[in-house]
Amino acid sequence: MDELKRHRILMVSDFFYPNFGGVESHIYCLSQCLIQLGHKVVVMTHAYGNRSGVRYMTGGLKVYYIPWRPFFMQNTLPTLYGTLPIIRTILIRERISVVHGHQAFSTLCHEALMHARTMGYKSVFTDHSLYGFADVGSIHMNKVLQFTLADIDQAICVSHTSKENTVLRSGIAPEMVFVIPNAVDTAMFTPAPKRLSYDEIVIVVISRLVYRKGADLLVEVIPEVCRLHPNVRFVIGGDGLKRVRLEEMREKYSLQDRVEMLGAVPHARVRSVLVSGHIFLNSSLTEAFCIAILEAASCGLLTVSTRVGGVPEVLPDDMIVLAEPTPADMVHAITKAILLLPNINPFAMHDRMKGLYSWHDVAKRTEVVYDRALLCSGGSLLQRLPRYLNCGAWAGKLFCLVMIINFLLWQLLQLLQPSKSIEEVPDFLMLENQDKEI
Amino acid sequence: MPWLLSCNANDSCCYTRHHQNLISQAIDVHEISITRSIVRTLLSYTGILLFLVNCYILLVKEKLCSYSIWRTIVVLMFAKFVQYKPVKKESIVILSGFGLQLETHYWSGRIVRRFVPRGQIVRPILNECVTPFTCYWSLALILRGEDKLMLGFQELRPPLKLLVPIWKALSSSLDGKEGSTS
Repeated sequence: MDELKRHRILMVSDFFYPNFGGVESHIYCLSQCLIQLGHKVVVMTHAYGNRSGVRYMTGGLKVYYIPWRPFFMQNTLPTLYGTLPIIRTILIRERISVVHGHQAFSTLCHEALMHARTMGYKSVFTDHSLYGFADVGSIHMNKVLQFTLADIDQAICVSHTSKENTVLRSGIAPEMVFVIPNAVDTAMFTPAPKRLSYDEIVIVVISRLVYRKGADLLVEVIPEVCRLHPNVRFVIGGDGLKRVRLEEMREKYSLQDRVEMLGAVPHARVRSVLVSGHIFLNSSLTEAFCIAILEAASCGLLTVSTRVGGVPEVLPDDMIVLAEPTPADMVHAITKAILLLPNINPFAMHDRMKGLYSWHDVAKRTEVVYDRALLCSGGSLLQRLPRYLNCGAWAGKLFCLVMIINFLLWQLLQLLQPSKSIEEVPDFLMLENQDKEI
Repeated sequence: MPWLLSCNANDSCCYTRHHQNLISQAIDVHEISITRSIVRTLLSYTGILLFLVNCYILLVKEKLCSYSIWRTIVVLMFAKFVQYKPVKKESIVILSGFGLQLETHYWSGRIVRRFVPRGQIVRPILNECVTPFTCYWSLALILRGEDKLMLGFQELRPPLKLLVPIWKALSSSLDGKEGSTS
């Protein structure tokens, strides 16, 4: 690839493997596709237990596990300036051109973007979730987001609803926000080779059993559906605080033979659980973009979901039945889905999904965002400080002070440890037949 | 705070190699040494002097106040910061057929040696070490039966371009040994 067009990207987030989730798999899949397009990608995250230092993943993806302890819900302890030396070292030794932060809830992401802007690197931020405006936690997080996005080059959201949410929370100009939906690995999620019979309808639910994911709705919906449709069976995968309520519901209505609880399902086994069913039920109360329903559609299941957040944007109308997040409406939607089932062809659905969603498409669109970010003018510290003043009467001045101190600390670091003394890492070529040597 | 001072900024690292062929064995010595600069030596002596003056003032004073405690802390940190590294040179002695020896020579004349037998070494590698504040290359040995790496040149932390010829020599001497026994 042309050296000028080749980007050297640093993905930063508190959420990466070995932890498992949507953000983690998004970063991994996007990084792999960007590497295949010819760019260099390095990931930075905090250490997980003993896993600290430099690791290499498939395709030569380099991961830095920084030995900073996580203190709350997988987030690194926010010290404002503590991570400046290590981030500076990594940016110089890997010759990074763009810093890409993921997830508004990640403190490491915010710190990295702040330091990257101070040092003059281009920065891009991706928001993966919807957040509220009213409670104390959300108010504080929105302020931090406002600080980070005041001086960002470009931002990415996973749905139009998420874009609206991010723009309202942070006050960033909408022209700077791109919408790039997530994708699904259709090669991994394929339908069952033999179509299931319709004598017994199986409804699959795979989610964390917590309030946010609508576990309380399930407790109301399942007994009613079982009463109305004697040939329907439920399979519930996942674990969480609300599991107890679901177990109680099973006991109360004697549904032990009609509701099967699988417990936590490892991601590698999700496909085998999905292909055992006809319908996928998603009862989330809020969702920026639901990858779970993409996985279900890729396996040829008809989806029934609550009409919240970015869910209506995910699938075409003939692949999904939407309902309001109330028990009565959801039962009605499930009845409608059962009637629609004979018209569904799982293999045709899977082929449509292959055309609609692919990580390679996401990578190409992200490449456009990086190109646009590189065209943005940087500006000196004095030109950038006024952007923070818009954040609020007191907050604006506080943010300016934080950035000035960051700049001074950076200059001190330049004096004590000049950039020339930090060696650049040579690029290693991944040979195809390296397995044979080992 | 050794992590802030790099090998190339103020001090210069110097790499030398000696090769001797005795009757039936070859001894390969790879050394990395630091050349002392006059400015740094003067600074370190100034630091010690300042600290001693501070201690004398503390003893002479009748009562201690918070100002004197803060001053002591600041002077102590300054003296520690400008203090010269006690290490004069670090070396790897490759004794073909036996193993290798890691040595650390101090300015005071003390030498610390560590011998690793040939059979215990699986492979020498160039490893990137990540600390909470920095990231540097080091020459490490993977040992048989141990789950921790043995790191070399830990005090001086020389740059990668000085470590590469040492690693190549180590690898070729260990591979050469494997080739002759197989």
